[in-house]
Amino acid sequence: MNLLDIRNLSIVMLSGNKKIVAVDRVSLVMKEGELRGLVGESGSGKSLLAQAIIGVLDEKWIVDADRFHWRGNDLMRLSIAERKKIISKDIAMIFQEPMSCLDPTTTIGEQLEEAVDDKQLTGFFWQKKKQRKLAAITLLHKVGIKKHTECTRSYPHQLTEALCQRVMIAMALARRPILLIADEPTAAMESTNQGQIFRLLASLNQLKNMSVLLISHDLENMAHWTKRITVMYSGQFVEAGTTEQIFTTPFHPYTKALVESTSHASLTLEPKSKLSALPGSIPILQHLPIGCRLGPRCPRAQQACVNAPKAKNYHGHIVSCHYSLKDTY
Amino acid sequence: MLVFTLRRLNLFIFTFIMLTALSFSLSFLFPGDALTNLTGQINASPEQRALLAEEYQYNSHIIKQYWAYLTHLFDGDFGISIASHLPISSEIMNLLPATIELSVVALFIAMAIGIPIGFLAAINHEKIPDQAILFVSMLGYSIPIFWLGLLAILIFSIQLGWLPSAGRISLVYEIKHITGIQFFDILLSDSEYKWQAFQNATLHIIMPASVVAIAPMTIFIRLARTSMLEVLDSSYITAAKAKGLTFWQIIYRHAIRNSLVNVIRHVGLQFANLVTLAMVTEVIFSWPGIGRWLIESIFQRDYTAIQGGLLALSSFIFIVHILTDFIYAALNPLARDRKHGA
Repeated sequence: MNLLDIRNLSIVMLSGNKKIVAVDRVSLVMKEGELRGLVGESGSGKSLLAQAIIGVLDEKWIVDADRFHWRGNDLMRLSIAERKKIISKDIAMIFQEPMSCLDPTTTIGEQLEEAVDDKQLTGFFWQKKKQRKLAAITLLHKVGIKKHTECTRSYPHQLTEALCQRVMIAMALARRPILLIADEPTAAMESTNQGQIFRLLASLNQLKNMSVLLISHDLENMAHWTKRITVMYSGQFVEAGTTEQIFTTPFHPYTKALVESTSHASLTLEPKSKLSALPGSIPILQHLPIGCRLGPRCPRAQQACVNAPKAKNYHGHIVSCHYSLKDTY
Repeated sequence: MLVFTLRRLNLFIFTFIMLTALSFSLSFLFPGDALTNLTGQINASPEQRALLAEEYQYNSHIIKQYWAYLTHLFDGDFGISIASHLPISSEIMNLLPATIELSVVALFIAMAIGIPIGFLAAINHEKIPDQAILFVSMLGYSIPIFWLGLLAILIFSIQLGWLPSAGRISLVYEIKHITGIQFFDILLSDSEYKWQAFQNATLHIIMPASVVAIAPMTIFIRLARTSMLEVLDSSYITAAKAKGLTFWQIIYRHAIRNSLVNVIRHVGLQFANLVTLAMVTEVIFSWPGIGRWLIESIFQRDYTAIQGGLLALSSFIFIVHILTDFIYAALNPLARDRKHGA
């Protein structure tokens, strides 16, 4: 059974009388215990997608989907309150810039304690308070923070970004989630700290069988940590497959360009030769091309590309392109 | 925290020096004899004048004169009033507490009503309550206070007869002057009509305090609204939502404190405005405060009184400023260990 099954999810913003489709019919299927990567340039709508899944988008965004199943439950049929209940119980999220995601006027300890679910506690309220404190300390230990007294007493601005991200992960773990969405958890962090955070996420994935949806623009790190990758471009679904498939036999011209532009690929390049990249840049939301949004930049674009392509499935390797590179391999 | 306290204290000392320098220079800038302006001794005999000149170092260097003036201030000697020949310090001690009482009650009313209403507007952003609150606050802000005061007297005192129109307390009650703050004095007194007196004093303060509170209240509404909107838009609120907290949990635990921090910061600034309004209101409601006395002194060309009143009022406002800074620091951990210039 699939853990999360999203079919054709669109996120629309109405500005004036114009409809801006920020995320255009994206599908995402996740299995239980999977560590899945979601890759795309900044502005490709991956954070929007994550926030739509967890339901924290502002009212100005309108979310619509053909199918939204969570562990076999059709969430579209439930009321908003019921949906929110299920999602906040089972799905947790960590954000980029963790320091700004923690309340600056409340101590870490208090914020951790309020994240602890009431159902895990027993007894009267004075006993619960003690249990909450203990639970918070255990959570800190789980994410590898040993000096728990100092940490619970401090305010977010007194900790480093990496420590704040650990605290955010601890908070996410408090509800014992089945799926953890990590939205660029290591943006603006040094590489040693990045490694620590990724290792922590990977170990949580393996030891606790917690599924992780890792969102990032950094393809190389993703290759190292994830088993399967979904690629997005400008709010559209591009390609999904195992990490190996994506890296060795990319079907979509965009994925190919993305893989070729990493320094990993450049190891095979001649010295001083040019690193290949697509011409142009990602379109802004106000001026989106019709059809396949890669069209104007795509080296293989033809007339058919003014219509958005349908996703085609080749044994689990899904691609959304009229002229895929499948036959070139 | 110690550094924070020291820095505030430092600021206080320098502002005090500036203030005293200004009030000292006023005695030279006012028409007439500087020594007379400074001391208020208008009918002094030549011998007395010589004595005063000696005391105030009138014939030596200006810095020495200033120092002599400062020493007098610290001895509590502000000179005597030109108009009434009473010592300024005792006048201030009698009148300032009434103003403090009025303005503190008004500030309390303005904050207690304005801030929650502002939060309510932000929570219902761009819906009917928000629009209505903004409209009413705009209206409240643009009404002139003296007119509002007269209108309030007309309606609540004359037509309805609910509230007394003038004074701090009915003359029937004899309350000894201990602290000067009427409510404390009533509680400290051993009169058997204590509670009646307390009720009476409360009735007297309702109308002037509410009138003073209206304009600052509308400002607090808008401050609270903007700061709440800002906080609700921040990423830690999104993160708290993702944590699974309900909307009201988020408001109570995270949003209110963070937006209060921003509002408290402006309270000190608003207080100066509020005291100015209180001065006008004191005249209308015959409130025996320092504002009314100061305005009367200006009409009577009572230069010593103007200097003393200016000094007392500004120090009072400044002390409130520093107090709100401390409250701000207590609420906001970021402000406590802020470095220079940050």
